[in-house]
Amino acid sequence: MSARLLASLVKVIAWAMLLFLTLPVFIVVPVSLTPQSWLSLPTTGLSLRHYAAIAATTEWLEPFETSFLVAGLVTCLATALGSAAAIAAWRLAHPLVRWLSGVILLPLIVPPVVSALALYRVWVDLGIFDTLLGTVLAHTIIATPFVFTTVGASLASLDPRIEQASRSLGASVMTTVVRVIVPCVRPGILAGAVFAFIASWDEVVITLFVTSRHVFTLPRKIFQDLRDTIDPTVAAVSSILVVVTLLVALLLFFTEERRKVPG
Amino acid sequence: MRKAGMSGAAHGLALSGLTKRYGAVAAIDGIDLEVKPGEFLTVLGPSGSGKSSVLMAIAGFLRPDAGEILLDDRPITNLPAEARNFGLVFQGYALFPHLSVADNIAFPLKVRGIARGVREARVNEVLRLVRLEGVAARKPQELSGGQQQRVALARALVFDPAVLLLDEPLSALDKKLRAELQIELRDLHRRVGGTFINVTHDQEEAITLSDRIAILRNGRLIEIGRPIDLYERPKTRFVADFLGRSNFLEGTVASLAEGMAVIIARGVMLRQAVGDWQDLRPGEPVLVALRPNKIEIACDGRGEGNRLHGEVRSVLYVGSYLELVLRTEIHEALLMTVPITPALRHPREGERLTMSFASDAGVIVGEDRADLPSIALARTLD
Repeated sequence: MSARLLASLVKVIAWAMLLFLTLPVFIVVPVSLTPQSWLSLPTTGLSLRHYAAIAATTEWLEPFETSFLVAGLVTCLATALGSAAAIAAWRLAHPLVRWLSGVILLPLIVPPVVSALALYRVWVDLGIFDTLLGTVLAHTIIATPFVFTTVGASLASLDPRIEQASRSLGASVMTTVVRVIVPCVRPGILAGAVFAFIASWDEVVITLFVTSRHVFTLPRKIFQDLRDTIDPTVAAVSSILVVVTLLVALLLFFTEERRKVPG
Repeated sequence: MRKAGMSGAAHGLALSGLTKRYGAVAAIDGIDLEVKPGEFLTVLGPSGSGKSSVLMAIAGFLRPDAGEILLDDRPITNLPAEARNFGLVFQGYALFPHLSVADNIAFPLKVRGIARGVREARVNEVLRLVRLEGVAARKPQELSGGQQQRVALARALVFDPAVLLLDEPLSALDKKLRAELQIELRDLHRRVGGTFINVTHDQEEAITLSDRIAILRNGRLIEIGRPIDLYERPKTRFVADFLGRSNFLEGTVASLAEGMAVIIARGVMLRQAVGDWQDLRPGEPVLVALRPNKIEIACDGRGEGNRLHGEVRSVLYVGSYLELVLRTEIHEALLMTVPITPALRHPREGERLTMSFASDAGVIVGEDRADLPSIALARTLD
């Protein structure tokens, strides 16, 4: 009896948590559909005027493009680096590897503000402050640990003798990595790529520190607009941000589902 | 027409002084071993004996600290694994989960840049060899354990390897399937005609499959020889005990004449063939290994050879035979097996019996390799 009660209690808490985590979406999306010109929940009807406002000006288009470009480049870089590091860590059964893995994961542990401040200092010295390159590199540092973790998780369930098998069959180490190991951990690489994209796509803290006038990402524009002009357009932009993120995640989900079907 | 898998002349392989240390522990301790072309050699030993290390060194995944590995007298010790052209079948098969059965088997041909047409012909040929034509398009994880095993074999044979290495290939299968695949593997070796090196801890597998068995212990080669020789005429206590079961009788040589020794064991006189131990001297301590099936219940006082008297301590029924443990004058717990025949009167616990065994039923064995007489050692390395 008490066990069943406990089980239902856990269920209730789980649902409450889920609701809590998705709550912002239930506020932001309705607000974006308000017919009023101020931040409010729609009471008199629904309107797409704030979405039309985004399309009407180029004000939002540029940050959108910048964010897409940055996130795209970061996804490529972080996926390549994170996967390569994870595969290397898996192959080298060396005690030093554990320490190195810790270093790679540091950006996840260090508070973003601390990272941001450090990056700001160094980026200025390197002359890449407020450049596309600087932004992409800063985001890549944040995004790589996600790839490293997901690929590492995929590798953990891979039979280590797969590599020996491949090499005994005549494949060099490089061929083995490209034709055997990478295809085997594809789900982990894909998941890591999605996480890397999302990490860069909605990154704001570090971006605020390493950019100024030239590089303007979407989250930064939202942040600034919220401070300067409180207007439901921000809610509309945020909704689009959520939709893009959801689409990327769904893309991953469906590619994986299709792979699972035998045949 | 080329024969499927390992066509052309079979290759010989030799290990000379092979050594691998991990700190103070030697995983491989100076092994000298010669594998003849076309031979099925099994490396047998308990876990931790270094047998897998030896195989990994041959495969090229374990760099020896000292010694050489020779393929047809050509040193290959420093050749990377991918350049050795050895087939390797793993315990868990290590099939590529992302490739179909046919693509798994085609993989070694692809990395060798063999044209598609030739590749497909070879894959089909090998699939036929292991009788897996029907499952070529499936993924490995959709196959049974026995089928996966055959895919692993096909993949390791398709590129004409110089030597096929098998790392406990049957240990993941259940007993019945294992027995079936033992016969298949033996058959495959005959058809393919290449050099096979198998590593196992399963003595039954070693005895039924191999042309010769090399027995390892603590990284050292203890004995090597044909299964029947090792089983019937072991030279060391370890082999007599590890391969099958043996009773060990300790005694002292009293006298010697014409290849026959008289041994006093706990006050009992035994006649024992000297065998390989020609330079035995009176007064020397000896150890005799006696198989449980070489002892008989002596009927009505007659019977050749040595006689023992004892009391039955336990009787175990094992189906086709009985296993008796007896307290005798020379051994506290002498093990003997008695085949169950219609005429057999089942002995009871506490009953007193007279046993006999021939003078050549037992074998004199050494305590360790160092005890081996020089003639015996020379024969071992033959």
